[in-house]
Amino acid sequence: MITAERKPFEQIRAVTDQFGKVLVVGCNTCVAVCLTGGEKEAEVLASQLRIARGQDGIAGSVETVTVLRQCENEYLDAISEQVKAADLVLSTACSIGPQGIAERFPGVRVAPAMNTNMMAVVKGHHHWAEYCVACGDCGIFNTGGICPIARCAKTLINGPCGGSQGGRCEISPDVECVWQLIHDQLVSLGLEENLRKISGPKKWSSANTGGPRSMKKEGFKP
Amino acid sequence: MAQDQTITRHFFRPGTGDDGLRPPCEVACPIHTDAQRYIQLVAAGRYADALEVIRDTNALPQSIGRICAHPCEDACRRGQVDEPIAICNIKREASDGAKAEGRGYDPPRPQFGDRKVAIIGSGPSGLAAAHDLALMGIRPVVYERQPEAGGFLRTGILNYRLPKDILDEDIAYITGMGVEIRTGVAIGEDVGFDELAAEHDAVLIAVGLSESRSLPVAGVDNRGVLLAVPFLEAVNAGREVPELGKEIIVIGGGNVAIDVARSARRVSGGDVTMVCLEADHEMPAHDWEVRDAVAEGVKIVCSQGPNAIVGDGQVEGLEMKRCESVFDEQGRFAPTFCETELSTLPGDTVIISIGQMSDMSFLGGSGPELDGRGILVFDREQCATTRRGVFASGEVVTGPGAAVSAMASGKRAAIAIGKFLGVDVDFPAEPRAVNELPGYVAGMINKGARRSVPARPEDERVRDFGEVELGLGEVDGRCEASRCLLCAAGARYSETRCISCLTCVRVCPYAAPEADGNGLLKIDPDKCQACGICFTQCPAKAIDLAVLSEDDIRAAVDAALEGSGEVEFGCWYPQTRVAAEAGAVMLPCTARLSLGLVLYAFEAGAGRVHVAVCSEDDNGRFVTGHRQTRAVVEEGRRALQEIGLDPEALVLTLVKEKKCLKPQQ
Ligand SMILES: Cc1cc2nc3c(=O)[nH]c(=O)nc-3n(C[C@H](O)[C@H](O)[C@H](O)COP(=O)(O)OP(=O)(O)OC[C@H]3O[C@@H](n4cnc5c(N)ncnc54)[C@H](O)[C@@H]3O)c2cc1C
Ligand code: SF4
Ligand code: SF4
Repeated sequence: MITAERKPFEQIRAVTDQFGKVLVVGCNTCVAVCLTGGEKEAEVLASQLRIARGQDGIAGSVETVTVLRQCENEYLDAISEQVKAADLVLSTACSIGPQGIAERFPGVRVAPAMNTNMMAVVKGHHHWAEYCVACGDCGIFNTGGICPIARCAKTLINGPCGGSQGGRCEISPDVECVWQLIHDQLVSLGLEENLRKISGPKKWSSANTGGPRSMKKEGFKP
Repeated sequence: MAQDQTITRHFFRPGTGDDGLRPPCEVACPIHTDAQRYIQLVAAGRYADALEVIRDTNALPQSIGRICAHPCEDACRRGQVDEPIAICNIKREASDGAKAEGRGYDPPRPQFGDRKVAIIGSGPSGLAAAHDLALMGIRPVVYERQPEAGGFLRTGILNYRLPKDILDEDIAYITGMGVEIRTGVAIGEDVGFDELAAEHDAVLIAVGLSESRSLPVAGVDNRGVLLAVPFLEAVNAGREVPELGKEIIVIGGGNVAIDVARSARRVSGGDVTMVCLEADHEMPAHDWEVRDAVAEGVKIVCSQGPNAIVGDGQVEGLEMKRCESVFDEQGRFAPTFCETELSTLPGDTVIISIGQMSDMSFLGGSGPELDGRGILVFDREQCATTRRGVFASGEVVTGPGAAVSAMASGKRAAIAIGKFLGVDVDFPAEPRAVNELPGYVAGMINKGARRSVPARPEDERVRDFGEVELGLGEVDGRCEASRCLLCAAGARYSETRCISCLTCVRVCPYAAPEADGNGLLKIDPDKCQACGICFTQCPAKAIDLAVLSEDDIRAAVDAALEGSGEVEFGCWYPQTRVAAEAGAVMLPCTARLSLGLVLYAFEAGAGRVHVAVCSEDDNGRFVTGHRQTRAVVEEGRRALQEIGLDPEALVLTLVKEKKCLKPQQ
C-alpha cells in the first residue's frame, strides 16, 4: 500500500487561509488504511481548520467529502458538484489524489494536505515500513525475499557495507541493517553461497530515473 | 457543520452488520423489559428515566421490583464472570429513586372509545391486561371478588416482602389511567358469567389458582389442619387464625410454603418446621427464599413425605415416611417412598402448602369449555377459549409460576383482545439473545462483587410484618448497575462503509472482529464488550456502537455545554467525576472517546475539556481502555497545539478512587 502523512498544519493553513469555501476531500483506500487521510482524518482536519479559522476570523466554510479512491475518475465524478462549488479543494490522498482532481476538474484550485511517503507493509497497528521503491526490475529472489534497494540506506546490491553494526545500520541504531537480514535469511534457507556471488549492475532505466512511466495492457478496449 | 456524506457507500454492498440480537436478561424476562437500558440509567443516577423504561412493559413496577423471581438474573452473562447483576433490586432502586425525585408517578390518561372489556380477576395478569388495553383506547373493567385488588400479590405474598402501600401505589397508577376495578364482585355469584359477557365486547378470564390442594391422608379433618391459601389470606387481611398453635408443621417445599412458614413464625412466635419430599438441593423454592426463611429460624426437614396426620380431634403431629425419589426418569413428578421408614414430628398445627388449583365453578356451565380435568380448553397462541370473545390469561391457564409470567400472559391476551376488537396491534416477534461469553472473554473481565441488599436483622424482623429488604440505596444501586456488561450493545459496522483495512481486527482486546480472506468483516456480538476502541480507530467511520453512538455522544456534548463552558468526558462508574464544574458526558469508559469527538467539543465551544482515566495498574473497565484514553488525549493536545490553542485545555485526570470496584462497605 501507499502511505502518506499529513503536512504540518501551518503549511496547510498558509494555503487554505487564502480561500473562503474549502472542501476537504478524503480518500478511503491507501491513506485510510494507514490511518492518515480517510474519512475520519479528513473530518478531523476539517474540524481543526474550522476552529483555527474561526479564531482568526477567516470567513467561509470548511466541509468534507470522502471518495473510495481519488485516483479513479469515476469516483471523482460523483463529487463534481461539491468540487466545483469550492474555492479550494484540499485533498488528504497521496499526491495522486490532488493531481487527479486537478486534471478532472480544470479551473478548480487544488492543494495537497499530505506528503506521500512510501510503499509499505503494515507492521502492526500504527506502524508501517517501506518495502518497495518501484525500481521496475524486482530481484528479491536472490536476496531471500528481502529488497535491499528499498531497505538499504545505500541501495547496495552487494552488501553489507562496513557500517553494519550488530544488525543495525550505521545511519541510525533505529534502522535495521537489511543485509544482516538478507544474510540470516539466506543462511536459514541454506543459500549462504548466494552471498559470495557478485550481482552485476542493476538496470535503472525501468525505474523512475528512466523518465515518467505509464502502463498499458493489451486486450479488450471498451 | 461538517457535511457527513460518504460517496464510498455507493460502491459497496448494502447492509448494516446489525443482527438484531438482544441482551440475555431482556430475552429471559417474560415481558422482555429492556433491563440493560434501565440499568444504565440507574448507573447514571437518572431514576425517573429508568422508571419510564420499566413502565414501557411493566404495569406493576414497584411490586415486581420487590418480589420478582427474576429469570433475567439467571440468564445474565455477568454470572459467568462473578455474579449476575442484581437486576431486580435495581428495578426497585429506579422506582424508589424516581419517587424521591417526585417524578414518574403521573399516569397517562388514554381516551377510551365505546368498546369495553370485562376482566375477571385483579391479579398481576388481569392488571397487566387492563393496563395495556387502556393504552390501546379500550375501556377495561376489572371484577374482583376480594375486597381489594391485587390477586395473590395482596392475598398471598406477605407485607414483609411486598408492603401493601407499595402495591396500592402500583394499582393507583393503573386506576389513574382510567381503569375501573370493581372489588367485592364475585362473577358467578354477584354477576352471572353470561350477563357479564353480554354487557362487554370481550371477556378475559384471569382468575388465577385460588384454591389450595389438600392431602389424601388420614387425619386431615383434625382441628389444627389448615390450607395455605386461606391461611395467607387471613394473615394478609390481619384476621386472627384461632387454630394456629405454637408448634407448626408446614407441608411443602415451594415458594408458597416458604411464605406460609415465614408468616406462621411471625404470627405465632412459635416453632415452625417445613417438611418436603425433595432433598435440599431439589427444593422447588428459590435458594434466596430458603435462605431468608432459615435465617428467621424456620427449620426444614427434607426427603420426607406425609403418611398421616396424628391426632384424635386435634393435631398432635405428622407421621412421615422417607421419600426415596421425587421424579421419575423422564423428570416427571412421581415420588416413591420407603413405606417402612416412618417417624413422627410432634406439632399442634399442620398447614398444607402443596400447590394451588383453579376453581372454574363461576362459569356455571354456560361459559367456555373445560376439559375432563376441569381445566379451561385454551389456545395458547391466540389466548382464546372455546367461546368467541372470551379470552384467558395468567395462572389459570399457564399453571403456577412467577407474577411476571402471569403479566406476560395478560399482555399477550390484551393484544389478542385488541386484534379481536380491530385495533392495529400484533403479537411481537420473540427476541433472540447473544450467546454466552466465550471463556477467554469472561476471563478478561474485571471482577467486582455483586452488591447485596441490606435487610433488617433476623431477630427484629420475625416480630413484625414490616418490610425485610431495605433497598440498595443510591451508592450501592449505582455501583451495582455499573457492573452491567452492556451485552449486545457494542460495535455495529456498516458493510457499505467498511474498507476492509483490518484496523478493528488489530485493536480489539477481545478478538471480536474477524475478517475472511476477502476482507469481509464480522464483529462477533458474543465477544464484543462495547469498549468502543475499534470505533475510535476505524478510519472509515464504518463502526459505531449500538448504545451511546457517536451521534448520542455529540448530542450529550451539546447538552453539557448548555450549562457550562467546559465538558467532562467521564466514566459512568459512580463517584468518579473529575471536574464538578464541567458539563458531564458520561461514558461506559472513556476508551470510547475519539479524536473527532474531542475536537467536536472544542468546536462546539468548550473552553476546556476534561477526560477521566484509570490508573495504568488498576486496569479500568476494559483491558486496554486506559491506554486508548491516554493516546487520544495526547493526540488531542497535539491537534490543539497545531491550531494555536492551549494544549493544556485538554485535561487528563486520574480517577483515584473507584469505589464501585471495591467490596461493599
Ligand atoms: C404466597 C405466594 C407467594 C408468591 N410469591 C411470589 C414471588 O415472590 N414472586 C413471584 O414472581 N410470584 C410469586 N407468587 C406467584 C404470583 O403471586 C402469581 O404468579 C400471580 O399472582 C398470578 O397472577 P394471576 O393474575 O394469574 O392470578 P392471581 O394473582 O391469583 O389473581 C386472580 C384473582 O382473581 C380473583 N378471582 C378468582 N375468581 C374470581 C371470580 N369468580 N370473580 C372475581 N374475581 C375472581 C381472585 O380473587 C384473585 O384476586 C406467589 C404466590 C403466592 C401464593
Ligand atoms: S451484564 Fe447487563 S446486559 Fe448483560 S445480561 Fe447482565 S444485566 Fe443484561
Ligand atoms: S474493540 Fe471493543 S467495541 Fe470494538 S469489537 Fe472489540 S470489544 Fe467490541
